[in-house]
Amino acid sequence: MKGKVWLWLVLVAVVVIGAAGIFIWTGQKGEPAAEEAQGPSFNPDLFVYLGPGDAETLDPSKAYDTASAEIIFQYYDNLIAYKEGSLDEFVPMLATEVPSVENGLLAADGMTYTFPIRKGVKFHNGAELTPEDVEYSFERNILADPAGGPMWMLIEPLFGVSTIEDLACQIAGVDSFDQVDEAALVETGKRVMAAIEVDGDNVVFHLNQPYPPFLSILAHNSSWSAILNKEWMIANGAWDGRAETWVQWHNLPTEEQVLFDKAMGTGPYKQVEWDRSNSRHTMEAHADYWRGPAAIKTVIVNNGVTEFNTRKLMLQRGEVDAIYVPVENSPQLEGMEGVTVLRNLPLLSNVCAIFNQEINAVDNEFVGSGQLDGNGIPPDFFSDINIRKAFCYAFDYEAFISEVVLGEASVPYGVIPKGLSDYFDPNGPRYHYDPEKAAEYFKKAFDGEVWEKGFKVTLVWNIPNTTRKTACEILEHGIEALNPKFQVEVQGMEWATMLPRRREGRLPMVFIGWLADFADPHNFVYPYLHSKGDFMAFTGELGRNFAAAEFDELVNAGINETDPAKRVAIYTALQKKSIELAPHLMLYDACDRRAHRDWVKGFVFDPIRPAQYDFYALSKSLD
Amino acid sequence: MLAYIVRRLLFLPVVLFGITALLFALISTLGPWTRVATFIPSPDAERHVDLEAIIRKYHLDDPPLKMYLRWVKNLFRGNLGWSQSSHMTVSEAIARRFPATLELTLFAVGPVIIGGIFLGVIAAVRHNKPLDHITRILAIILWSMPDFVLGLAVLMVGFGVLGWFPPGRLSAWAQLAVLKESFVAYTGMHTIDALLNRRFDLFWDALRHLVAPVFTLACLWWAFMLRVTRSSMLEVLNQDYVQTARAKGLTERMVIQKHVLRNALIPVTTVASNMLLGLLGGVVIVETVFNYPGLGLLTATAATRLDVPCVVGVALFYAVILVVVNLVVDVLYSLIDPRVRLE
Repeated sequence: MKGKVWLWLVLVAVVVIGAAGIFIWTGQKGEPAAEEAQGPSFNPDLFVYLGPGDAETLDPSKAYDTASAEIIFQYYDNLIAYKEGSLDEFVPMLATEVPSVENGLLAADGMTYTFPIRKGVKFHNGAELTPEDVEYSFERNILADPAGGPMWMLIEPLFGVSTIEDLACQIAGVDSFDQVDEAALVETGKRVMAAIEVDGDNVVFHLNQPYPPFLSILAHNSSWSAILNKEWMIANGAWDGRAETWVQWHNLPTEEQVLFDKAMGTGPYKQVEWDRSNSRHTMEAHADYWRGPAAIKTVIVNNGVTEFNTRKLMLQRGEVDAIYVPVENSPQLEGMEGVTVLRNLPLLSNVCAIFNQEINAVDNEFVGSGQLDGNGIPPDFFSDINIRKAFCYAFDYEAFISEVVLGEASVPYGVIPKGLSDYFDPNGPRYHYDPEKAAEYFKKAFDGEVWEKGFKVTLVWNIPNTTRKTACEILEHGIEALNPKFQVEVQGMEWATMLPRRREGRLPMVFIGWLADFADPHNFVYPYLHSKGDFMAFTGELGRNFAAAEFDELVNAGINETDPAKRVAIYTALQKKSIELAPHLMLYDACDRRAHRDWVKGFVFDPIRPAQYDFYALSKSLD
Repeated sequence: MLAYIVRRLLFLPVVLFGITALLFALISTLGPWTRVATFIPSPDAERHVDLEAIIRKYHLDDPPLKMYLRWVKNLFRGNLGWSQSSHMTVSEAIARRFPATLELTLFAVGPVIIGGIFLGVIAAVRHNKPLDHITRILAIILWSMPDFVLGLAVLMVGFGVLGWFPPGRLSAWAQLAVLKESFVAYTGMHTIDALLNRRFDLFWDALRHLVAPVFTLACLWWAFMLRVTRSSMLEVLNQDYVQTARAKGLTERMVIQKHVLRNALIPVTTVASNMLLGLLGGVVIVETVFNYPGLGLLTATAATRLDVPCVVGVALFYAVILVVVNLVVDVLYSLIDPRVRLE
């Protein structure tokens, strides 16, 4: 009996394999195409880049992470673009002129911008760009305004509020979006549609207030201002373009947006596939691109290779053209044959530790006893300016920059990073490591009580960010060396564990970084210093009151001023004040780096571009 | 036997209920403010985000029972939910990742089992001779080696130095070829799809990418298989009936093959089935090092990002595999060992 079972199994296997064999050998199809160059040999038509982590979405109204922006950048064009090497000059893109007061396209009051739209531009599906596409793109993105997305950047200059829901509430005169009635919703839609209008071959934007960085917010690199294809969008189930219906498409879950995994732009590359299970984007050159087709025909952005050593070997073997390199790994690429490594590229980004001026001390494991008795800190510990300054002087910036970020950073001048040094005095005051001054300020704090009794505090860093862990440890050493009664503990925490504690205001200090959305100091002073800014939200009621009293007026003055010289004066003052009052411990101004094969030509670093590579500008050649 | 199989399969829903209820009970100990973290991939991305709105939108503050009932209701509609960490529905994520895992398993399972048994038999037959010592020392070294170290070493040599066995599942040119409309993906397993499309160049490329991860997995498991086979063989070799077999004049080869190995294989089957389960569940480190995105990586990413629907969905899927594979192993026992009766 048993023998028979085996016999049957073998028989079945033979039949299956035999059938498969016959099927395979008798087939005619499947000749390898001649153009498929095989193996890792040099292929000038194909570019492979291994990125850091995959995109969250390809929808310009929702994307707010660099990985998403990297891809959107390749598929879409904007009205204008930054001039190469400049952060405040622009060149036309889908518009034929950059509005200015001189050419009459920007009204003298700074509130009306007119963009003549380029003719003959083709979308990836062959449709021709019209001014209506431009109008629709902005209106659709603004009305979609998904929570946590970037659309506040356009809503603020156009309507003076931060979200479309705020605008609807304002129109309806209610506090909550749930209470807004049908009529007010329609009125909201109409207001948005009136703010952006087609006028002949032009598109006109009517601002709510003068807004100096407005052109930066529209420029290429700003994924939220990408130009979409109206007809294609509607055909695929997106907003139908009517004021009465917009709310059906408002704040949809990411995956329910038409553009979540698709793209239809006028950009140099068109989407072939987003293979989400392999975190891989495949794109091919848009043959009818208005600036001429790209030199590199096919690009693969593979964000799925998470292990650096694997990426490194693939670059070394020439299997890929470029890889993402985290700062701690950049020395491993030094001297690698055939590979160009660019380091110390100044980013518009900085990292800080926020002082929580009013810690929620109830059942709080991070503040010890919660009192100034040598075994904890009181909730308002950081509201004393002397404590904040003492912490700033106790951090060894130089050691941190040379040892931890391997020289790829610089000591901050305040909340505005070095890349925007046109807006402040680069010879102004900075903090440096000075134990004597730190001790001096600790002695002054709380009328000498801190120095006499000592304190105990726990600093929390988010796993796996070891750079921040070391920053905490350097601060720990700097402070504990001053007085044996000072105790600083360092604790790592998973993000999901940290988030509720951070929200409840339990963390004494919050380590966090900021990457510019657009190249303007307002994009730094607002989150860092304004009482309604993102970072002041972590400083408690006391911190926000302090910000309102010290910074709000100047921050508002900066954004409402159209005279460039006066703006420089305002930001210089703010930068200086951010050192004097030390609302945050500014750790470092960040730098970026690139690693690609020597055969990659045409790379230009752009500090504001979220994309690591502008594939359109690149070519590959062996000489 | 059929009755046994049916009974075991009827038990499956109970197992599934137990596992998912347990998972939801565990998850309910995390507050909504912890679970909302999955919607914000990193601490620095928490800008202008109305977390309360997200919590309301995705019902993160519902009581655990309500959450579980809603999940069960969706399950009966065939909807496992949306996986925030892999940007697709959970069923799609499993359907896309499992072929990779299955392919790796199919290619690994043969070399590992045959190789392991072969080495174990050699060691047992040459008991306390130099060959026995060498294989055992080698086994201990390989077994003690952390998988990421071994994996990286294999990658360095096989790809970095020799350039033969690249990481990933396909080369860039092959990825583009697979994307073409003329190529039909029947199974999601590149080697098999390549054969079905009669693309031997693609088959060869996919095979080349499988060598290094399979070899790494084999090294790790050989050591284990070797030890189990060896000790089980030694135990059987000392039995009286083996002496009898030798006494009646059978050749040593005959004794080992017909009388010893057969009996020694029962514990080995248990180990092999465990290994199969381990491989089918995905191997996180090997998948990471060789950039081979299978179920293991999916689960690990989902777990670290607290992607609840994905974690629960994968657990459910894995439970089904577990029950089925265990059932197959039980049936195999009865085939190998006539003393085992399934009732």
